[in-house]
Amino acid sequence: MSDGDGRDSLKFLGERENQQWKRKKKKLGADEFAQAIARIAVAQVCEGLGFQSFHQSALDSLADVGVRYIREIGKTACSYANLANRSQCNVFDVIQGLEDLGSIQGFSGASDVSHSLSGSGVVKDLIRYVGQAEEIPFAYLTPVFPVVKQRTLDPSFAQAGESPPDEHIPSWLPKFPEPETYATLSLRNEKDLETEVVNKTQLVEEQHRKVERPLLNFQQKLICNGSEAGVVVEQGDAAKAQRAAESNPFLAPPLQYGEKEVALPVLPPKLLDDPADYHNSCVVTDTNLLTLEPSLRPRETERSAPCEPEDRRNILLNGRPSLQFKFGNGKKSLRMVTSPRNESIEKVSLWFGDDHDGKDKTNRKAEKILWENTEYPPEVSHL
Amino acid sequence: MNGQTSHQQSKDGRHDDDAALTEFLASLMDYTPTIPDELVEHYLSKIGFQCPDIRLTRLVAVATQKFIADVATDALQQCKARQSAVVKDKRDKQQKDKRLILTMEDLSRALREYGVNVKHQEYFADSPSVGLDSVSETSDN
Repeated sequence: MSDGDGRDSLKFLGERENQQWKRKKKKLGADEFAQAIARIAVAQVCEGLGFQSFHQSALDSLADVGVRYIREIGKTACSYANLANRSQCNVFDVIQGLEDLGSIQGFSGASDVSHSLSGSGVVKDLIRYVGQAEEIPFAYLTPVFPVVKQRTLDPSFAQAGESPPDEHIPSWLPKFPEPETYATLSLRNEKDLETEVVNKTQLVEEQHRKVERPLLNFQQKLICNGSEAGVVVEQGDAAKAQRAAESNPFLAPPLQYGEKEVALPVLPPKLLDDPADYHNSCVVTDTNLLTLEPSLRPRETERSAPCEPEDRRNILLNGRPSLQFKFGNGKKSLRMVTSPRNESIEKVSLWFGDDHDGKDKTNRKAEKILWENTEYPPEVSHL
Repeated sequence: MNGQTSHQQSKDGRHDDDAALTEFLASLMDYTPTIPDELVEHYLSKIGFQCPDIRLTRLVAVATQKFIADVATDALQQCKARQSAVVKDKRDKQQKDKRLILTMEDLSRALREYGVNVKHQEYFADSPSVGLDSVSETSDN
């Protein structure tokens, strides 16, 4: 609608408005539901009067004005009731409120100061309106809103049948949480820790449910308050943590290294050096590539697109300098030994490289030779 | 004596008014206002209006409905007046503009009578410098 710089600026504005509109759409206020219902009701009233369509902005404005009218009636009626030393409103309070609001437009008998409220002009207008207007029920069934959640309160001392620990605490107050939920162990000897853990496991086993729920609630509250999940997991609380871990895996304490057996990725043989030396370093050379070529054909049920080894050999040989990089590993070998060593040939699943169709006897032989030289034959590690 | 009769009459009148009001409130339970009760109760409770009697909420709902109906009627009259004014110029528009549309302009005129000032943006500009180009051109020239 502007004589701007041209279509680019209009387009840009359109996109920006679009984004803003999308952002606005996402931001739903707390009153969105009520406003929507008000819009529908006002639209129905307008339709009943003869309007066939409306501008969205006009409908929004009229609905907003209608809502404000309701609030204004309520406010004035409430203030009149309070003025008369009452907390609950009366029909006369409402009529007085209506008179106040109608005084702008005017109603019959407005100038009469001492008229009775029940005979007020607004009431007569209302009666007339109800008599004339056709009844248009609201289009939808509205639930009672806002919905109030049922809060489960903690039981008090009296309700739980317990006596408060001290005299100064009355029995109608809610119970203290279970000591396991908040007790943390300070630095102690290992023996003490062990005995403590044993004692605690016994305790926990006895009060299985009682411990679990408050602990979970406590941890959930911690999470809700923004603190990290599973933050208090100390050595002495192993039993408690275990209980928590059983119920909620996300709250379980992190696993120590070596606790759980995890299949590690298998490096393709071409990244391996001299087989005897692969514990500590990986050196890649031309010759290795050549010798290992034939063994790059595993016996796998899963196959991908085949690739001819000759081409790869050509690709690899043409003008490529020999690569030498050493990876220093202080840790265990990358090929993890999980079961007793087998002399038989195991399948090798490649992390990189192509899988090939078909089995060649030559390949088998090459691999046999290769792996017989190793101390630790590879395990089957299907990833 | 005359004062007594007039007093008597006013008393009767008051009784009639009270009776009419009571009857009206009772009839409200039969009449379902377009504005749902839950909505009215929600806003009234928000504002501090306390009353367990559902007839009062119905009363408020009916009053609001009447208010909106009055405003909409005025807007409708404005719209029809504008259409009839246009029709006098061209006969073609008579067939096209039969649709009655609630526009912001009509609404703001209708609401002004009720003391509600609703002003709508007439147009939107891309940037603050829009429209100033012509000014700068003339100043250069």
